[in-house]
Amino acid sequence: MSKKFNVQRLTFKVFFFIFLLLTAYSLLLTVVEAKVYIDINSPAFKKIPIAIQEFSGTSRKEIPDIISDDLEFTGLFVLIDRAAHLEKPSQPFNPRNWTPIGAEVAVKGSVKEDKDYTVTISVFDVFEGKEILKKEYKADKELVRPLAHNIANDIYTLLTGQSGIFRSKIAFVADDKSGKGVYIMDWDGNRSTHLGLKGNAILSPRWSRDGTKLIYSTERGRQWGIYLLDFKSMTEKRVFSSKGTNMAGDFLSDGNGFIFSSSKDGAPDLYTMNLKNNQISRLTSSYGIDVSPAVSPDGSTIAFVSDRGGAPQIYIMRRDGSDVRRITFEGSYNTSPSWSPKGDRIVFAGRRGTNQIFTIKPDGTGLTQLTTQGNNEDPSFSPDGRYITFSSDRNGVKCIYIMRANGESQKRITPKKLRAFGPRWSPN
Amino acid sequence: MKKILIVLIVLGFVVTGCAQRKIATPETKQPSAATQETQKKEGAEAKAPEKITEQKLSQVESKELVTGRYAEEEGAFKDVHFDYDKYDIKDVDKPTLKSIAELLLKNKFIKLLIEGHCDERGTNEYNLALGDRRAKAVRDYLHSLGVQSAKMDIISYGEEKPLCTEKTEVCWQKNRRAHFVVLKETGK
Repeated sequence: MSKKFNVQRLTFKVFFFIFLLLTAYSLLLTVVEAKVYIDINSPAFKKIPIAIQEFSGTSRKEIPDIISDDLEFTGLFVLIDRAAHLEKPSQPFNPRNWTPIGAEVAVKGSVKEDKDYTVTISVFDVFEGKEILKKEYKADKELVRPLAHNIANDIYTLLTGQSGIFRSKIAFVADDKSGKGVYIMDWDGNRSTHLGLKGNAILSPRWSRDGTKLIYSTERGRQWGIYLLDFKSMTEKRVFSSKGTNMAGDFLSDGNGFIFSSSKDGAPDLYTMNLKNNQISRLTSSYGIDVSPAVSPDGSTIAFVSDRGGAPQIYIMRRDGSDVRRITFEGSYNTSPSWSPKGDRIVFAGRRGTNQIFTIKPDGTGLTQLTTQGNNEDPSFSPDGRYITFSSDRNGVKCIYIMRANGESQKRITPKKLRAFGPRWSPN
Repeated sequence: MKKILIVLIVLGFVVTGCAQRKIATPETKQPSAATQETQKKEGAEAKAPEKITEQKLSQVESKELVTGRYAEEEGAFKDVHFDYDKYDIKDVDKPTLKSIAELLLKNKFIKLLIEGHCDERGTNEYNLALGDRRAKAVRDYLHSLGVQSAKMDIISYGEEKPLCTEKTEVCWQKNRRAHFVVLKETGK
């Protein structure tokens, strides 16, 4: 009995010791963590009031305006109106000028303009009254927007500990007078560039995971082919074509191949093609339609659309085509699945009278509707999973929109009159 | 008793192990704090500025495939129509298909291109697959009337080439169609 008692006491001691260790350790971590100003993964985070001043020197407003727009769209910051700023851009930082107007972080900067722009920024923690970042940047004048986005990324990382997406791009298809073409623009809709790629019809392009290639399907000369654009060499190559309908799905996670839908053997089924040896493997063979395959971030699972149950629904299966499971059961028309970067959600377009954007967990639970106005299609996540791009005809013509992943702040980013669709957010 | 002690000690280790692993995860955030430090130093030492660059996107010209083996002739036959999200041939369209079959059986030098189309309500990729099924349903029906498969080609345009652009059922019905193009051999 006494032995047993001793054992219990000993265990108690051991556990108490562990408890002490844990407490000390977590206290230590809290100190370290305090450097991150917002824990954006906490559901109860508080928005940071931030003041971004006009810069001193030339083009004083353009750069800080772009930085402000970037940070504001995240929903993590409250931008303090410049009219309320007490300190002039030319004056040195003094926390007493910022505390009364409620700013917790202040950003000051200066621009020097010769043949390039040289920009210096300083970020201040108002409570502690100290500079937490000072950095200098140089850029060609035509790269003023990427320059400003770069600064926004650095401020975002400084305050959240996460990487920003402000230099990411969106690829899409648009109709102009000369036909349909593939375009690339900044994530905020600026600097839209027609890549010169054309076709009578073009479907949504897909990015390779390293962002150096695009794969897309287009009809030329009465045949649907799958084409690959390599950004390093700026060349286009046809990688697959046959009679029937061929549609690029997604790159495989190793980058050496892609998955696609083809009706070459009858009904539209899913296949993979190895880009090194051009070998094709068949993944599905159903009587009905199998389209729009999307590979999960870890490469293990494929989400796709099938009408094998009578109407189009989202299914998932393993990478080798086994273990097929249906995940959408609400509504009679669910299509266009795309994975979140963590693989914890799938975003898709579901028909409820009109087409709306939904997310769902890969196990079929947690269905959430994000849009309600007009027809909304072709959704895909931003590289950090915090935003979604999609097309919508809510204002008449189909245009590209972005929103936060919870459906907030829906915003049109392409011109009202340009018919644009099939947006895909770049992976980096 | 000794056994219990060992089990408890092992358990103790497992618990600490797990616990430590759990609280170790936030450590991934430490690098960000560390980078802040280095950035601060960088600033203080006035390190060379970060150069912002971007790859220039030059234009890529698509090389169009030239067909030209056939002269295309449209309008010889009426379109046939389909119900929403369906690809079965309707009875009302069977006489049209019969007359098409007769022409193809009589005339050796022509081929038929069957285009499958959809209304705009679906999504592009699924509609393209649906258009494919519609064109193939027509092809299979003509095949059953004796037309060789080699005399028929199919292509789907999904919702890409609507006949009618209003958002009404009348309009959508016009768009859910198979359209026929007669291909006449040129040259050769």
